[in-house]
Amino acid sequence: MIEAATHAGQRRRSAAVERLYRLYDAAGVLPLLLCVLILVFALFVPHFASVENILNVLRSSSFLMIVSCGQMLVLIVGGFDLSVGSVVALASVISAIVMAGLKVPLAGDPALITLLGVLGGLGCGMAVGLLNGLCVAWLKISPFMVTLGTMSIAGGVAFVLTDGIPVYGMPVTYVNGFGRGLWLDLPAAVYLAIAVVAAIWVVQNLTRMGRYIFAIGGNLDAAVVSGVRTRVYLTASYTLSALLAALTGLALTAEIGSGQASMGAQLTLESIAAAVIAGVSLRGGVGRVEMVALGSIFLLILTNAMDLLNVDSRLQTIFLGVILVLAVAAEEARGRKWGRGQR
Amino acid sequence: MASAEASLRPTRRASGGAASAWLRLAALPVLVVLMEVGFWTMQPDVLSARNLINVLQQSTYLIIFAAAQMVVILTRGFDLSLGATVSAVSVASALVMTSLASGGGSAAIAVAAGIAAGLGLGLLIGLFNGIFVSWLNVNPFVATLGSLNIALGIATTISGGNPVFNVPNALSTLLYSGKVLTIPVPLILAGTICLALYFVLGHTVFGRSLYLIGNNPRAARLAGLPSARYLVLAYVICSLLAAFGALMLTAWTGSGEPNLGGSLMLESIAAAVIGGVSLRGGIGGVIQAIVGGLFITMLANGMDLLEISGYIQQITLGFVIIAAVFFDRLWTART
Repeated sequence: MIEAATHAGQRRRSAAVERLYRLYDAAGVLPLLLCVLILVFALFVPHFASVENILNVLRSSSFLMIVSCGQMLVLIVGGFDLSVGSVVALASVISAIVMAGLKVPLAGDPALITLLGVLGGLGCGMAVGLLNGLCVAWLKISPFMVTLGTMSIAGGVAFVLTDGIPVYGMPVTYVNGFGRGLWLDLPAAVYLAIAVVAAIWVVQNLTRMGRYIFAIGGNLDAAVVSGVRTRVYLTASYTLSALLAALTGLALTAEIGSGQASMGAQLTLESIAAAVIAGVSLRGGVGRVEMVALGSIFLLILTNAMDLLNVDSRLQTIFLGVILVLAVAAEEARGRKWGRGQR
Repeated sequence: MASAEASLRPTRRASGGAASAWLRLAALPVLVVLMEVGFWTMQPDVLSARNLINVLQQSTYLIIFAAAQMVVILTRGFDLSLGATVSAVSVASALVMTSLASGGGSAAIAVAAGIAAGLGLGLLIGLFNGIFVSWLNVNPFVATLGSLNIALGIATTISGGNPVFNVPNALSTLLYSGKVLTIPVPLILAGTICLALYFVLGHTVFGRSLYLIGNNPRAARLAGLPSARYLVLAYVICSLLAAFGALMLTAWTGSGEPNLGGSLMLESIAAAVIGGVSLRGGIGGVIQAIVGGLFITMLANGMDLLEISGYIQQITLGFVIIAAVFFDRLWTART
C-alpha cells in the first residue's frame, strides 16, 4: 500500500520533471533566465521596477526587436545581414530629407509629407535589401561579403547626403504623435514591434513561405530538389530584413526628431547577438521569432540594469561580450546533451 | 588517399588545375597595375617613386592584418575581434611603456616590456577565441564578437577613452622609422612575417592541416589530426599577428590609440577575400593576403591623391568588395 503510494508519487514526480525537461528542451534557458533576471533586478536594483523605467526598456527594446526579427529571417536561410545598421541610418536620413524638403511645397498637408517621407525611407531600405538578395540568390556571392559591401555603400550614401550633420524639419505631428507619443500609455514603437513579431510569427508558422524559409536554411539542395523556388524566397528574406531595418530607422528618427547618418551602427552586431542568444542557429534552419523577441528584451534589460547601477559603459561592453559567448556556449552544450547540434 | 593529398595542397581550387589557379592569382595584380595607371593619367604623382614607397610602407599593416585574418579564414572561421585587439594592444603596450619610462627606467627596458605586454594581451585574446571556437564549439562569429566587445571594453577602460601620449621614441625607431640597408623597417618586418607564414602554411604538418580542417573538418578528425589543438593555435597566431601589427601601428602614430583598429576588422577580411581567400575555408595563402592588402591600400591612396572624399571612398570600397567577390565566383564556376 505504502509502496504503491510512493511508487505513484515517484511516477507523478517523474512525469512532472519530464514535462519540465520537455519545456526546457523546447524553449531553452532564455525564458527561465529572463524571469530570474527580472525578479533579481526588481528586488535589488533601485528604480528598475518603476513604470517610467519599464516604459523606457520596452521602447528601446522594441527598436532592437524589429531589426532582430529581420536578421533572424536571414540567419534562418543560412545567411548574414551586416547591412542592417547602415540601412537604419540610410532610411533615417532619406525620410528626414524628404520630409524637410517637402515642408515648404506641401506646407498645408503634414499627413502627405509624412507619408512620402516614410515611403522614401522604406523604399531605399527595400532597394538595399533587393540588392543583397539578388547578389546572394542569383549571383551566389557569399552573404557576408555582399552585406559587408552594401553596409559600406549604404553608410557612405547616408554620410554623403548629410555630411554627417543631423537633418531637422520633420512635421511636428510625426515626431510628437508617433515618435514620442504614448498610445494607451505605451510608446508607439512598442505597438510597432508587437505587430512585426505577430506578423512574422504568422508567416513562420502558418504560411508556405515560412516553411520554405526553414527548408532552405535546413538543406538548400533538398529545398531545390523539392521544387521550392529558393531564389525567390532567399531574395524575399533579405528584402524583409532590410525593410524591417528601414522601419526601425523611421521609428528612431521620429523619436529623436532628426535624421542622422550615425544612427544604428551598433544595431548590426546587437541584432545578431539577440538572435543568437535566442537560439537562432548561424548554420541556418533554426529560429523562432517569439524567442528572438525575448532575446532582444534580455539584452536591453541587462544594459538597463547596469545603467541603473551606474556601471561604467566601457565595463558594460566587456560584460555583454562575456554574456554573449557564455550564453551560446551553454546553448551549444544543451544541444549536444539532447542529441542535437551534431556536426 | 590521393584526394587527401590533393586537399593538403595549399592553393587547391574547387575543380581547376594549377594553371587556372595561377591565372586567378595573376588577375588581381594586373588589375592593380591597371588601376594605378588609371590614377596616373589623372594625377601623375601616383606613380612617383616617393608615393610608391609610401604606399608600400602603408600597405604593410593591412597585409599583416589580412594575413592574420587569412589564417583563421582557412579553417572556415573569421576573427571579428581583430580590430578591437589592435586597439587594446596599442593602448596596453603604450601604457606599460609610458609608466615604465616616466618612472625613470631605461627606454630599452620600457619598450621591451611594452612589446611583451602587447604580445601577451594578443596571446590571451587568441586563446580565448580559440578555446571557445575549438573546444566549446561556439560559432566563430559569436566567439569573436564576444571577444570584440571584451577587447574594446579593455581598450577604452584602461585608457579612459583618451590617446596615451609620450610613447618612447625608441619604439618608433625600432618598428617604424629605422632602416636596415636603406629598406624601411616595416617592409622588412612584414616581409619576414609573410615568409614565415608561407613556410608554416605550405611546409609544416600544422599549416597543411589547416587547409584540410577548412576543406573537410570531419576528414581532418578522422585522419587523426589534433584538429582541436590546431584550431586553437590558428586563432592564437591570428591574434598574435594582429598584436604585432598593432605595435607597428603604435610605433607609427607615436601614441596608444583606443580606436586605432576601428575599421580594421572589416578591412582585413575584405583584403583577404578580395585577394582570393575563400570564406568557405581551405583556399588561400600569404600571397593572396599580400595582393589583397596592396589592392585596398593602393585604391585608397589613389583616391586620396585625387582628393575624393572619405564618404565616396567608403561607397567605392563597398562596390569593389561586391564586384571582386562576384568575379571570383564567376572564375571558380568556370574552371
